[in-house]
Amino acid sequence: MAVTRDEVLEKIRDELESIKVPNAREATPDNTWSDLDVDSLDLVELVKALEDEFAITISDDDLKPIESVGAAIDLTMRLVEEGAPA
Amino acid sequence: MPPPENGVALVTGGSRGIGAAIATRLAEDGYKVVTLGRTSGDVQADIGDAASVQAAFDTVRKDHGPICVLVNNAGERRDGLTIRMSAEDWEAVVNTNLNGAFHCTRRALDDMLKARWGRIVNVSSVVALHANPGQSNYGAAKAGMLSLTRTVAREMARKGITCNAVTPGVIETDMTTDVVDKLVAGVPAGRVGQPEEVAHAVSFLCSEGAAYVNGATLAVDGAMAA
Repeated sequence: MAVTRDEVLEKIRDELESIKVPNAREATPDNTWSDLDVDSLDLVELVKALEDEFAITISDDDLKPIESVGAAIDLTMRLVEEGAPA
Repeated sequence: MPPPENGVALVTGGSRGIGAAIATRLAEDGYKVVTLGRTSGDVQADIGDAASVQAAFDTVRKDHGPICVLVNNAGERRDGLTIRMSAEDWEAVVNTNLNGAFHCTRRALDDMLKARWGRIVNVSSVVALHANPGQSNYGAAKAGMLSLTRTVAREMARKGITCNAVTPGVIETDMTTDVVDKLVAGVPAGRVGQPEEVAHAVSFLCSEGAAYVNGATLAVDGAMAA
């Protein structure tokens, strides 16, 4: 499954919107969770949405260093690529 | 916001005693009820085992739909004075009553979070509040459930999910036949309670009207712990 960074960003914006983050549609890769007021429970929801959408599994270890939208996009892209058939 | 359509009410230990009364009552309330038991019920699992619980919840989800109500009712008693209690009896009771509630809660929250609607009711016991000699394992596990209840309530409150507990007193079931006569003397109401009376309280906590009741412990004990 080929995925673009923009597609992942859009999905993240969709999910931020559904968890009622203000200005979710304007979120950029530079935004940190703290900028967006996204807490640990919001992050659980976001991770679930990304897992379902892109058929990946995000482990707690993978998630720990992820502190921004951009880092979440990088992680998603990497996991999608790793899961894709060679 | 109403419960999600197609949502399942899962009752652990729902095939007899208090659990059966709760299952019947929630079905009357319009829920699609699924009971989970070790060997009985609609779906089987050893609730003290995380993998077994996960497999059972996956089955429920696949065959019946997402879980929107969870009643952690399954329990086990192995009474004995602490000084003579085996480690095995301690661990088995804590594992079924407390760890089991955790494993089931953890799995149910996945569906509830997705739906942004959920009701969890933990069936604790009067002995969580009012110690009963011979039940240190059961009382500790049931008291642990009350803390689990309050913590989950705080964690999930803004997601439309409530987590409450009931503390039944002396209820007439086949799990208590051996001790009812001895215990009824300590009940201010002067009688034992019926499983249906606990089910009524659980029904309220699962209702839409109880959306703002969260982290509460509702005594159903004829004033025993008052």
